[in-house]
Amino acid sequence: MVRAALSPQKRFGHGPSRYALFVPAMTVVAASLLAALPIISTSGWFPDFGYLVLISWRLLRADPWPAWWAAPLGLVNDLFTGYPVGFSIALWSATMLVLDLIDRRTMWRDYWIEWMVATVLIALDEWLQWRVARLSGADIPFTMMLPQLLISICAFPLSAWVVSRVDRWRLGR
Amino acid sequence: MATARPGWSRRAQYGLFFSFLAVIAGIIVGLVLLVVSLVAPDEFGRLRGAALDVTGPVASALHEVTETAHGLVTGADDYWDAVSQNGELKRERKAMLRRMVEAKAIYQENLQLKAALQLRQQTHDAIAAGRIVGSSFNSPRRFAIFSAGGRDGVRVGMPVRSPDGLVGRIIDVGELASRILLVSDRTSIVPARLLRNGIPVIAQGNGDGTVEVRPLEVGRNPFRPGDLIISSGTGGLYPPLVPVARVARLKGDEAIAIPLADPATTSFAIVEPPFEPTAMAAEGQSSTTAP
Repeated sequence: MVRAALSPQKRFGHGPSRYALFVPAMTVVAASLLAALPIISTSGWFPDFGYLVLISWRLLRADPWPAWWAAPLGLVNDLFTGYPVGFSIALWSATMLVLDLIDRRTMWRDYWIEWMVATVLIALDEWLQWRVARLSGADIPFTMMLPQLLISICAFPLSAWVVSRVDRWRLGR
Repeated sequence: MATARPGWSRRAQYGLFFSFLAVIAGIIVGLVLLVVSLVAPDEFGRLRGAALDVTGPVASALHEVTETAHGLVTGADDYWDAVSQNGELKRERKAMLRRMVEAKAIYQENLQLKAALQLRQQTHDAIAAGRIVGSSFNSPRRFAIFSAGGRDGVRVGMPVRSPDGLVGRIIDVGELASRILLVSDRTSIVPARLLRNGIPVIAQGNGDGTVEVRPLEVGRNPFRPGDLIISSGTGGLYPPLVPVARVARLKGDEAIAIPLADPATTSFAIVEPPFEPTAMAAEGQSSTTAP
């Protein structure tokens, strides 16, 4: 942000956080750990916090972490949320790849395009979860996934806002 | 990898290429692990158990806090309409006393009959008691985190019940915590019967907090709203005579029921040994239901 550099008040000794390189990945792990919240949901209408934060970071910056970190982060998410091991590893790595391709193709982007991309990714995530649940014997109708899909899509701007605040904090702006 | 070429630097170009390969490798590894965990669900049992040991105690501690807050709120609420509640409770108590006398008589009779038949009563002691401290948030599956684990003697496959009814069964075990497959999960099937007339039914979860009950015999829909469903003990995994659900509405030949043990309000639950230990051994060999 150029604006930050132009701002008159210079605070000495106020630079990027010491762990700035690891803060994004740490927030993703923290979001996965939200699964430990003592909320007992009988309908499962909560968003997939880890994935939301992951795509929020990746849409905000091209380099929040080296692309291959998505795999270990996905493993952590799988273990804490109780998804079948491997689901988030594959999905999150593929997401990094897809977003790189999208970065190449798009000429410009604004807030609405980012929300649209996030919507598509979230929908893909929910659909794949539904497919995997079917494969493991839980054949529920897809209409039951719609409420949580909507909630996740509506939660994306919030997660994007939080992530942008954390980004400013970690870079000391 | 934001642009096709990061410039003229060979090093940057190679770095880009290798990170691309690493991501592809990540996808492949993820897919392989996913296939393994779908085909052989027990493969990652230890790993999942270790993760449970991290989240379980955290969830337990936070649970205490929310429970206290919740208690304060509902406590204030109860105080608010104390008068009407008092009247209702008095009426309920009178009805209960009558039912209790009946039940005592039936119990006595039952004892005499059992003595006459020389049936041996099978009693099972609880293996561990704990709290339900968390649940799956997002997935179409219905899991809950339970605050007792392998250290307390909990093993995969054991049924979990609360004073209100059947909660589910254990599918992942860590040292300090374990994961329950709730009866409302789609893959959970509980052999049960209607309390009113003993018709055998099957209770399968719907994935949204309700249970679908089907009669085993085709014919007229035997359910009425308000019917109680109790487990039958068939199959040997779940103990018999545990309340499972209450029928809420009818749907074609089936009925939609609501589990009696609501995991959200269940304070304590106990883990019991499987009704027939052999059933659990068989379950362990061919467990296709667990993730």
